[in-house]
Amino acid sequence: MSASTVVSAGTQRTEARSRAHEIWRTVRLHSVTPYVFFGIPWLILGGVWAVTMVAAVILRGAGVSDATDGFRYSWAVLSPQWYLVVVGVQAIAYTFSFALGFGATRRDFWLGTSLMFVLVSVEMAAAIATLVQIEQATGGWWIGAGMFDTLWYGQQGWLVDFYTTFALQLLVLFVGASVTTVYLRWRMRGMMIMFFSAAALVLILVAGLTFTESWTAVFDWFASIGIVGTFTVVLAKALAWAVVGYFVIRRATPR
Amino acid sequence: MTRTVVRASGLTKRYGSFTAVEAVDFTVEENRIYGLLGRNGAGKTTIMQLLTGQIFPTAGELEVFGRPPAEHADVLRRMCFIAESQRYPDAYKPLHLLRAAPWYFENWDEEFARRLVDDFRIPLNRYVRKLSRGQLSAVGVTIGLASRAPITFFDEPYLGLDAVARHVFYDRLLADYAEHPRTIVLSTHLIDEVANLLEHIILIDQGRLLLDRDAEEVRGSATTVAGTRATVESFTADRPVIGREHLGGQASVTIDGRLDLAERLRAKELGLELSPVSLQQLIVHLTGTDLHAGSAGEEAAA
Repeated sequence: MSASTVVSAGTQRTEARSRAHEIWRTVRLHSVTPYVFFGIPWLILGGVWAVTMVAAVILRGAGVSDATDGFRYSWAVLSPQWYLVVVGVQAIAYTFSFALGFGATRRDFWLGTSLMFVLVSVEMAAAIATLVQIEQATGGWWIGAGMFDTLWYGQQGWLVDFYTTFALQLLVLFVGASVTTVYLRWRMRGMMIMFFSAAALVLILVAGLTFTESWTAVFDWFASIGIVGTFTVVLAKALAWAVVGYFVIRRATPR
Repeated sequence: MTRTVVRASGLTKRYGSFTAVEAVDFTVEENRIYGLLGRNGAGKTTIMQLLTGQIFPTAGELEVFGRPPAEHADVLRRMCFIAESQRYPDAYKPLHLLRAAPWYFENWDEEFARRLVDDFRIPLNRYVRKLSRGQLSAVGVTIGLASRAPITFFDEPYLGLDAVARHVFYDRLLADYAEHPRTIVLSTHLIDEVANLLEHIILIDQGRLLLDRDAEEVRGSATTVAGTRATVESFTADRPVIGREHLGGQASVTIDGRLDLAERLRAKELGLELSPVSLQQLIVHLTGTDLHAGSAGEEAAA
């Protein structure tokens, strides 16, 4: 391209370029190091799976039966979540600052990051829901081990497992990212106000429920909406955080 | 025809009670090389962050390509800015930066980037957080040059660069600028290194604009007069003095403004020695107020 075209291009309005391009390049930016979002979570799950296998072999060797081993209460399937909340934080703390220097807008960066989170959540949800099916089909990897067919999983079929994992995954990523936008916009003061307000809110809620003796009503309500209903609440929270993040990041400044 | 690409008026940035940039007015014309000069903490990076929409002004007006830069995609995609203290994702290596750059800079020249990587000996496969200060600067310079963005900001590009790398930057910038004219804004406190590169100088100190002038004009604008104290004092009595040094009966006074032929001849008759002031010396005089007895910098700024 010659210099003169560069200069003359500067005078034209450029809205013709589709916004989809701007959003998609944020997704590409997040996946330029693919192992952050797609590799390490599976390394963690793989490691925990191996530990679960060894534990199962030991339990069977010691003569503990399938019925009493307690794998149903294993939280192993949730092990990558601690890592992924940090990924959500770093997507904003580091990648955001960097993308601004490359000329991204805050709006397109957030929309692209949200799209990335949706893609990652779909991938995690599809894989875990499928692994629940495999675990059930193989009778716990042929030795009665339980890593995926645990907690609320494996009770209402693939689609429910997919939906619940998707909702949870999205919440974890958006909590990490949106809380970090608060830090970037209002720094430590904003974080303090947010955490203490949240703590106060929880205490008020607990006090209110305790004094009005409504705890049973709350449990009954969750029981009545079931697994799907509960995770719809989780999904709604994820979306709420996504909206909060969108508005907060619009005036956020990199460190 | 030159076009104004940046227009700032009353531009101000405050952080609580601290004023980083105070009511600064300036413009940047298209296809020139600007030096944003000043001491550490003068507000150079803050001005660049304002110009690139990274931070929001507290007061004043700012237009880049005719619009406020923050959140305007059509303005932002025409600029490139790698801050001196730029943070990168932990997992990034220089090769990731070079892979992503063409997605953001539409004039990106891949071949030029590769050549610069060789020239600077940038280790492509090492984590960015493991790079030395000089290598980090080289990465920023490489992206800035190869981006060929219509307006490119270099924030302290010389930081940590060795002599060869400084030379490479200087050479490649001039050569590429000649072939692909564009607007370049360069901030630095190493003034001698870039003095010959700059076409226009914006000097700031403690957040205020001290000087906004054509570099050619600035270069010849100050003179140092040296000789016996009494003679020097009387010769410079009604001139704008920006620096004053005494040693015994001798004095050396730096004045702002050119001397005409008659004045030069008179100085010679009086036995005074006249010497030109380099850009760096001039800026030391203008901003190094505490080094001298009087508040010379403020006199000049007023």
